[in-house]
Amino acid sequence: MNDKLQLPNLDYAALSPMLILFGVACIGVLVEGFVPRRIRHGVQLSLSLLGLVAALVMVIRQGSKDDVVTAQTAVAIDGPGLFLSAAIIVLGIVSLLLIGERSLETGGAFVAQAAVTANTDADRDQAARTTGATEVFPLTMFALAGMLLFCTANDLLVMFVALEVFSLPLYLLCALARRRRLLSQEAALKYFLLGSFASAFFLFGIALIYGYAGQVDFKAIDTAIQNSANDDILLYVGLAMLAIGLLFKAAAVPFHVWTPDVYQGAPTPVTALMAACTKVAAFGGLLRLVYVGFHRTEWELQQVLGTVAVITMLVGAILAVTQTDIKRLLAYSSIANAGYLLLGVLSVSERGLSSSMFYLVAYGFTVLAAFAVVTLVRDADGEATHLSRWAGLGRRSPLYASLFTFILLAFAGLPLTSGFTAKFGIFAAAIDAGQTWLVIAGVVSSAILAFPYLRVVVMMWLSEPGETTPAVSIPGAMTAAALVIGTVATLVLGVAPSVLIEATEHAGIFVSK
Amino acid sequence: MNLSLELLAAAGDVKGGEAATFWILAPIAVLGALGMVWARNAVHSALFLVISMLCLGVFYVLQAGPFIGMVQIIVYTGAIMMLFLFVLMLVGRDSSDSLIETLRGQRMVAILLGVGLSLLMGIALYRALGDSDPKGLTEANAAGNVTGLARLIFTKYVYVFEVTSALLITAAVGAMILAHIQKSPEEKISQPERMLKRFLPGNYPAPKPGPGVFSTSDSVATPARLPDGTPSDRSISKILPTRELTSADVAPKGTEK
Repeated sequence: MNDKLQLPNLDYAALSPMLILFGVACIGVLVEGFVPRRIRHGVQLSLSLLGLVAALVMVIRQGSKDDVVTAQTAVAIDGPGLFLSAAIIVLGIVSLLLIGERSLETGGAFVAQAAVTANTDADRDQAARTTGATEVFPLTMFALAGMLLFCTANDLLVMFVALEVFSLPLYLLCALARRRRLLSQEAALKYFLLGSFASAFFLFGIALIYGYAGQVDFKAIDTAIQNSANDDILLYVGLAMLAIGLLFKAAAVPFHVWTPDVYQGAPTPVTALMAACTKVAAFGGLLRLVYVGFHRTEWELQQVLGTVAVITMLVGAILAVTQTDIKRLLAYSSIANAGYLLLGVLSVSERGLSSSMFYLVAYGFTVLAAFAVVTLVRDADGEATHLSRWAGLGRRSPLYASLFTFILLAFAGLPLTSGFTAKFGIFAAAIDAGQTWLVIAGVVSSAILAFPYLRVVVMMWLSEPGETTPAVSIPGAMTAAALVIGTVATLVLGVAPSVLIEATEHAGIFVSK
Repeated sequence: MNLSLELLAAAGDVKGGEAATFWILAPIAVLGALGMVWARNAVHSALFLVISMLCLGVFYVLQAGPFIGMVQIIVYTGAIMMLFLFVLMLVGRDSSDSLIETLRGQRMVAILLGVGLSLLMGIALYRALGDSDPKGLTEANAAGNVTGLARLIFTKYVYVFEVTSALLITAAVGAMILAHIQKSPEEKISQPERMLKRFLPGNYPAPKPGPGVFSTSDSVATPARLPDGTPSDRSISKILPTRELTSADVAPKGTEK
């Protein structure tokens, strides 16, 4: 009765990447309070980048050690967890370069004071003169730290807390666009309301799974599925609700409706962060959930997730055809890509895991480069995102138009780009798992999806530049760096993918303790 | 306390006082939830929610979770809902939602789907839990309910418990970003300027006249009369409807005898 409390053994070395990011975020909040406004941006940016690099170093150091399950089975630092953490950190560094860019527009992509009413004189004044809010840096750090925890959570409750920790800063970041602020605020509110709803479903699912298994950690759920006497209905209803929460974050149909509006309304650097890092985190969590906790329900999972995957791929591809805004087009393309990633999830095999991880990294780099180009095509009113404005861009600035063409071809999955290698890997894993019909749907939707991409390419190169065709701004050093990193990664992963493929295979499988 | 917990835990079937309390409070909780959705006035909605939450708190206590029951009542019903009411009062209790549907037929579809989902969930849970045998409560509460929770929070979930502080910091930073406007020094008005402005021609420096409650009637809706006999609009609250007062309104009440 009165036995002494045994404090858990926390492996600080294994947890250090998250701890560093949380620490940097807290310091960032203090910087907001104590550092003069003039130098705040530089301090915040270098602090955040340093923190991310330090976290990456700690992840790599941990990579040579054995799998660790720490804080009494709450957090699992294993091969895939470390790989996903490293992916989130690297993609986070690149998106942070976009977030920190201030040379394209006076004061950067973020509004100085979000509380000033949009479209008033005060607002026009601050859009023209003041520098953007620097709170975006600590918020980004919190989001990234939450994503790391989400990928390494070994327990549904930990997963839920991590989900909230990375979602809340993202909702806030969406509301901070400097231009088109009403659109941005609407996007944030929509994302927040729908996101809270999805979180509530996730929580309800946890309660039902707890009712079924009597535990919330993945290993215990796995054991319970083998020999629980409880009714399986509880398990399936609970699993369905967990899936709703996760598929919402992953933007799979029918939980995708927020994606185009939020991608369009959010400041473009934040859209890039969401498209790259949130995707990795959401699928990292989903992979662990399915591979460790629920792989014994594979038969039922494959049917349900398979249907979701087919609808996601087809709806994403077909609606992408009808889009007239480049950010919405990329949003629908990211929905379709969520469908391809689901194929990797429901393969439930070692190959499915490694090909999904490869896909996440490859897609992340490409999408970051794509949004980097979107931030460059601008006129006096900010970014020119309407597709008609992109007509004839190839004549105006052949360099950026060729880069964007290359990126779009990578999205379409042409050989010699990372898009081809990634799709090939994931389709091969799905065929191994006997999901040929899904692969057929995937190939069909890829063909449909190639149409909107090629339409943009044709528009850029074969139309005459009109009067409204904006010039492409000369990127600042940071956007240029992000663009180069994204494009080079897309090329290298297409030409010589073996290094990363070996890394994904070396990562092994999720630990189950 | 412990004895009652053990009694509750030992009782496998729901019966006696527990069943009676449940069947009395469950409909009230559901009605409170429905009322919250249906009430047009935001304050009424909040109060309905308080009813629902109080009932839930009692349920938690009934199910041998006194700690979470008390937290539900003290933190949610007591603190958070009251803050909610404060905010509503500050925003203005007369700002109610527009009931115009922007998407045609959306409400009907939403109701149909909502009822459908609830039925599906209810039936599934009833079938799954209808004849299940609850167990494990005695072990979980072996050292007392609060001690059991503390054990979990400070062992297995200590890391994630600390991580929730990131959530709180984010929330605080978010509130600052979305609500705080920093005034530049030139925008600040000094006291002499304020005073001069107050006494500018066309402005009325004295306090507003109070309503004419005690002079002619009992109603706060009675405007005060200015020295020349005209009623003053400034004397009644803006949220009161301006209306013609009947003689019954105006007549002093409770003085008939």
